[in-house]
Amino acid sequence: MTQSRFLRSARITAAGLAVGALLLTGCAAQGGKTAGSADAANQNAFLTIPREDMGTFVQNFNPFAPTVNPMVQQSIYESLLVFNPAKGNTTPWLATEWDVAKDGKSITFTLRDGVKWSDGKPLVADDVAYTFELQKKIKGGFDYLESVAGEAGNKVKFTFNKPWSPALYDVGQLTILPKHIWSTYADPAKEANAKPVGTGPYTEIDSFQPQSFVLKKSPNYWQPEKQKIAGIKMLAFAGNDGANLAAANGDVDWAPQYIPNIEKTYIAKDKDHRHYWFPPTGAMINWQLNTTKAPFSDAEVRKALSMAVDRDSVTKIGMSGYAKPADCTGLSGNYETWKDSKVKDNCTWTKLDVEGANKLLDQAGYAKGADGKRTLKDGKPFEFKISVGASSSDWLSVANVISQNLAEIGVTAKVDSPDWAAVVAGYETGTFDSGIVWSANDPSPYKYFNTSMGSSTVKPVGTKAFDNYHRFGDPKADELLSQFAATGDEAKQHEIANKLQEEYNAVAPLVPLFSGPEWGAYSDTRFTGWPTQDNPYATLSVKSPTTVLVLTSLEPKSK
Amino acid sequence: MTASLASTPTDPAILSPQAVTPGSGKYDDDSSGGSDAPGGAANPGGSGVSGGRCRATRRSFTQGLLTNKKALAGTAILLLFIALALLAPVLFPDNPSKITGMASEEPSAEHWLGTTAKGQDVLALTIHGARSSLLVGLTVGLASTLIGIVVGLASAYFGKFVDEALSVTTNVFLLLPGLPLLVVLAAFLPPGLGTVIVVLIVTGWAGSARVLRSQALSIRSKDFVAAAVVSGEGPLRIMFREILPNMASNVMSTLLGCVIFGIGAQAGLEFLGLGDVSTVSWGTNLYWAGNEGALLTGSWWVFVPSGLCIALVAFALALINYAVDEVTNPRLRKIRAPKDRVPKTAAHKSGSSHSKAAQ
Amino acid sequence: MRFILRRLGFYLIAFWVSITLNFLLPRFMPGDPVSRMFARSQAQMKPEQMDQLRKMLGVDDRPLWEQYIDYLHNLFTGNMGTSISRFPTPVTEVIASQIGWTLLLGGTALAFAAVVGNLLGVFAAWRRGGAIDSALPPLLIFIGSFPYFWLAMGALYLFGVVLGWFPLRHAFSDTLQPDFSWEFVSDVGAHLVLPALTIVLVTIGGWMLGMRNTMIATNAEDYITMAEAKGLRPGRIMFRYAARNAMLPSVTSFGMSLGFVVGGALLTEVVFAYPGVGYQLLNAVQGLDYPLMQGLFLTITAAVLLANFLVDVLYVRLDPRVRVS
Repeated sequence: MTQSRFLRSARITAAGLAVGALLLTGCAAQGGKTAGSADAANQNAFLTIPREDMGTFVQNFNPFAPTVNPMVQQSIYESLLVFNPAKGNTTPWLATEWDVAKDGKSITFTLRDGVKWSDGKPLVADDVAYTFELQKKIKGGFDYLESVAGEAGNKVKFTFNKPWSPALYDVGQLTILPKHIWSTYADPAKEANAKPVGTGPYTEIDSFQPQSFVLKKSPNYWQPEKQKIAGIKMLAFAGNDGANLAAANGDVDWAPQYIPNIEKTYIAKDKDHRHYWFPPTGAMINWQLNTTKAPFSDAEVRKALSMAVDRDSVTKIGMSGYAKPADCTGLSGNYETWKDSKVKDNCTWTKLDVEGANKLLDQAGYAKGADGKRTLKDGKPFEFKISVGASSSDWLSVANVISQNLAEIGVTAKVDSPDWAAVVAGYETGTFDSGIVWSANDPSPYKYFNTSMGSSTVKPVGTKAFDNYHRFGDPKADELLSQFAATGDEAKQHEIANKLQEEYNAVAPLVPLFSGPEWGAYSDTRFTGWPTQDNPYATLSVKSPTTVLVLTSLEPKSK
Repeated sequence: MTASLASTPTDPAILSPQAVTPGSGKYDDDSSGGSDAPGGAANPGGSGVSGGRCRATRRSFTQGLLTNKKALAGTAILLLFIALALLAPVLFPDNPSKITGMASEEPSAEHWLGTTAKGQDVLALTIHGARSSLLVGLTVGLASTLIGIVVGLASAYFGKFVDEALSVTTNVFLLLPGLPLLVVLAAFLPPGLGTVIVVLIVTGWAGSARVLRSQALSIRSKDFVAAAVVSGEGPLRIMFREILPNMASNVMSTLLGCVIFGIGAQAGLEFLGLGDVSTVSWGTNLYWAGNEGALLTGSWWVFVPSGLCIALVAFALALINYAVDEVTNPRLRKIRAPKDRVPKTAAHKSGSSHSKAAQ
Repeated sequence: MRFILRRLGFYLIAFWVSITLNFLLPRFMPGDPVSRMFARSQAQMKPEQMDQLRKMLGVDDRPLWEQYIDYLHNLFTGNMGTSISRFPTPVTEVIASQIGWTLLLGGTALAFAAVVGNLLGVFAAWRRGGAIDSALPPLLIFIGSFPYFWLAMGALYLFGVVLGWFPLRHAFSDTLQPDFSWEFVSDVGAHLVLPALTIVLVTIGGWMLGMRNTMIATNAEDYITMAEAKGLRPGRIMFRYAARNAMLPSVTSFGMSLGFVVGGALLTEVVFAYPGVGYQLLNAVQGLDYPLMQGLFLTITAAVLLANFLVDVLYVRLDPRVRVS
């Protein structure tokens, strides 16, 4: 049987059966126009973006959905302000300015004039108040928030039940919903919101299919001069491979997913137009040691283990060289402006030092036996597990490298990789030995320090904890943290953050490994104006608050 | 209800190509599922072959297999892989995952099959991979077949209620989606080869049980079994000494099919990242190859070897299976020239094919 | 008739056991959907929101038997609940929006493999030692021996990327709107070729060999000799006498496979980014989306049992001997 005969018959059969499928999928009803043609100029081209972890889309644009459709919180709904971790600056968005009360117990935002919802109605203070009411009712959180009320002059005042400085970004980056739409929904949590009305630049859903959909311009955007692209097209992929193939083949403009060996698989195919930029603005990825268990309760042990880890190999082999090794401030690249150079420049325990590690362990009383392996104080071998979810292949490689590193100082670490749910269950109840884990990534470092050494976040073993899995609390840090929360003065916050870094450096609550990179690659064949290392006005992520900055900066390439 | 040809060794499900279908990692082309193909008589022309020949051909079975070219070729390939698997620690004493070269090197004198994107030696990974793949395949195959034999024989011998109950159980297991089962089991069992093996046995035994049950049923209805029952032989003796030996070829086919299923399904699961990705096997090699974008970078040497090995082993097993069919069913044997054909039907057939050619 | 009723009873029991297992399985998994979501979101979600989310999603902590009664009740009223991973989309909507493509892909591949495979089997058996009989079986077995995803990735790379003959992804081009125009239908056809072809390649050998072996046995039957003696045309004997009788096992296989088509072709969907329920099922399982999982299981179980029942009925028609026994 020749291939061609095979294919021909396959094509004919397929075409015949396609008619049947049409009836079944019920798409036939939508009529027969073609949305765009292949020779469309860049002016009419849609910015094409793959979504790698949704095999198919469902027509659900509810921002409260646990798995929100792409672009809902990026191009449809907008927030009061946008924090850009790549530069550390904040852009006023739906609010033009804000004022933090002296006592730290309230913030007043001034809404921008002339902002309209995509249905033409104006944005009002009541929308903001209603959004927070809904948010608290449906998703909870914001326990510190006492009231949200509109004030004269298009202002909104947020009042807290305690001085709470981290609130600015917390409330500032929540996307605002239109009250006149959402108050008509009987059950907002279960509303599909199939035709969303938002303040964003691209709000109009078009050509919705399980495999792709298009977002077109909002007719009433408040910055019409910045809606330079015709629209956004999202493509669904059931995994990285498909999305990477599309990227390599030049079928998408923006490739925010993990691409292995990016120089070779992506860039090399069109060096002039394709670029990538992985700023280390993601969360700090830590190797957490369960401090309720010996010997991890000993800070010297934690430091010794940290010194044995070769962070260069970890990032090179595990993270394909895409990540930046951590320092002893524990802060990721997201908090670059917060770092205290005094601490940062004098790190010891986050640098590879096998000899030093051996010395520390010898001093702490974990002697090496004749076979070169160490024993614990109770005579048992120095052995433990490193847990990583099976699906995280990159972190798995990281754990494997650490395990190899530790063998050199006579410590045996076994990599344990069950399903993520099993791993997290162990974290939550505190039964794990050690594991590779993410951390909080907010505009302010408060939460990172609070969840790495704040006593208030420590839960006893057996009680479920949702952060501070390693269960480490430090009274000295508690003191500093409450001071931090109480002041709205940024200079003072920096001062306290410096002290927190010193404390972190002294007690080593976690073993920081590397700053998570924020992936992003693009091709400028059709659109220009991308954020780059030289012009870091946003990151290249499509899921972050800064995405809207990119969407309003891109423009079609003129020939 | 007795045997139907749907479940004799010629069953498509048992032949290799179905072993892993694109569906859910279990054979979804399985003819032996849900439906008990009804009716003992539904055995067009095959009943005489499968039942009556048993005793007569038992002697020549091994001999026939030994002189069959397909069987020999299959066995040779299989032995080669088993030898490689056993010799892996000698050939590559180092941990195969160890980084020994530059990243993504093409095949060279130093690294015969090149290196992965991490710089691991592909040849070492492939040869070490044979160990876990063959181990899983053989264990799953043996265990599934064993369960199949016990269930099949018990069904056939006791009949009635026992048969009905076992049939329902078998069919329910055939219906059960293997994937969720895997995740549940994986959550309870520590990750590792053991879990993969258990999961594949749980999802794989039902197929073989169904095939063997129908065969056992057809033998159960033979006179010599009735005679044994009358002469007062015990149930175990009748099941294992009277019935079982007469279905040796079916057991063999089932076993081979199950081994193929085991190897293929393990690779499929591991490729999806549902296995234990920290072990070295052909499946995990392919998982990492995909993960590192081997195809996108054109590193074919990372992608091809493990896939080819799985194919060769499955092919070898299928060849042996094919040979078993030929040996136990003389009509299936290849006929070289019309002259050599078996007198009766062949003569007619040669005539008809000639006349057809002439048309 | 008694036979049919008996089978019906059997299917009902199998159905009940299956749906009960489908109820129990997800509930034996550790954790709940919300903590899984939390683990996946990697600190994007706030811990204080988890309880609220549990409430919103309706994560059930009633005793198992109460949930079970509810579950059975919902099944019979066709209410499959709301998907958790795709909240707030109802399960029926999630499945309905994708099952068409699943059926198209699986159905096409199955029909093609079964028809062509069986025909090849008939020809191979009829002309023993001919080209089809000697060359094809080993070749098809060899191709079928490759791991499916390996073959699929290879084909996608070779025919899609290197040669550019076929599209790389999805069920149709993103620039088109579904309608009944030739342009759209042929586009769907072109997108179907690679995914379907790879499935056909690995399955066709089984159909062919099964049919061939049964045919060879059938050809030895007296009624074939009789037909030849009567001087009937070979083509007529081949199809009307031999193949028709040898078809029964294939019909059983076909019925069973037809039922499983509904479950989707997971690996195919992953490799070719083809929209369908197979990947949805994997996602549901990993995200502990009980309602969606149950909905999909129910659909698969019902489809498989229904297909088998139809095969049984068909059997009675095809083979009169069944009615007697």
